Amino acid sequence: MHGRKKHLDFDLNLVPFIDLLSVCICFLLITAVWLNIGSINVKQAVGGQSVAETEKKPLIWVLLGEKGDLVLDVKAGGKLPAKMLKLKVPPTAEGKFDLPGLATLLADMKTIEPNLRTALIHPKATTTYEDIIDLMDQFKKAGLADLGVVPL
Amino acid sequence: MVQSILATTALESELMAASVLGPKHGRGKRSITADLLLTALIDAFSILVIFLLMSFSSTGEVLFINKSTELPKSGQADMLERQPVVKIEENQIFLENKPLAGGDQLFQALLFMKKQMAEERPDQESPTIVTVQADRRITYKFLNQVVVACAQAGFSDIRFAVLMK
Repeated sequence: MHGRKKHLDFDLNLVPFIDLLSVCICFLLITAVWLNIGSINVKQAVGGQSVAETEKKPLIWVLLGEKGDLVLDVKAGGKLPAKMLKLKVPPTAEGKFDLPGLATLLADMKTIEPNLRTALIHPKATTTYEDIIDLMDQFKKAGLADLGVVPL
Repeated sequence: MVQSILATTALESELMAASVLGPKHGRGKRSITADLLLTALIDAFSILVIFLLMSFSSTGEVLFINKSTELPKSGQADMLERQPVVKIEENQIFLENKPLAGGDQLFQALLFMKKQMAEERPDQESPTIVTVQADRRITYKFLNQVVVACAQAGFSDIRFAVLMK
C-alpha cells in the first residue's frame, strides 16, 4: 500500500507582495520630482592675468541686436578664412534670432577651426533671458562649451 | 476538460476557502463567487514601480521655484549641484531666500558669505560657483546687475538654472 500522494500545488500568498508594491508606489509618488532642473555653466572672466600672458585662443564675440539680428565677430580666428571672421545672421520673419541659421554657421566654423571653443555673448539691455539661454544652447550644441556673458 | 494549474490553485486557495460568498452548498446553483485575477494588478504595479524608479531623482530638490517663475528651457544643460542660489523673483533679488535691495547689496552679501565660508572651513578653497535662478521673461538689464555683482565678488562661475528639455 502506498500512502496518499502529497499535493505539489501550493498557494503563493500574493498579499504581502501587493502590500510591498503599494508602499513602494506611494513612496515613489510622494518623493518624485517632476521638474528636471539643470544648469548652463557660464564662466565670467576675472582679470587676474595680463593680456600678454593670456594664450590667444580663437573666440567669437556674439553681438545681439535689438531686432533679432546677430553679429559674429571672430578674434584670433586661426584657420578661418577672412570672410568668416565677421558674419551677420539676419533675423527671422518674426523678428527673432535665426537659431537654425546660426547653428549652420557655427557648424561650418567648427569644421574649419576645431579649436574654436569660446563664445562671449554681448546682449542688449532689452534682450530677454530666454533668448540668451537659447543662444547658449545653440553654442553648446555646436561644441563651443566655454561661454561668457558680457556685462552692459 | 483540462483545467490549468492557476485555475485549480485559485479555486483551492485560502482566500477562496475563507470567502463567505463561497457556495459550499447547493451544487446546482449558479456560482456568485468572482475570481479576482491578481496577475494583471501585480503587472500594473510592477510597471508603475519601474517607471517611478527610473524617474527617481536622488540629487534632491536643489531649488525652490515660485509659481510665478518660469525657468527657460535648454537641451544642453548639465546636472545642477547645490551651490549658493541667487534668485530673481518679481523684480527682487534674493540670496539664499534673503531679499536684497539691488546689485550693490548682492555684492556685499556675496562677499560676506564668502568671508563666512572661509572662516567656517579654512582648509577649503574659496567658493567661485553661484546658481542664478530667474524667470525666462526678464530682460538682461536686470540680470546684468546680478552677473556683475557675482563676478565682482569673485563668483566667476555662474550657473543659470534651466528646465531640461
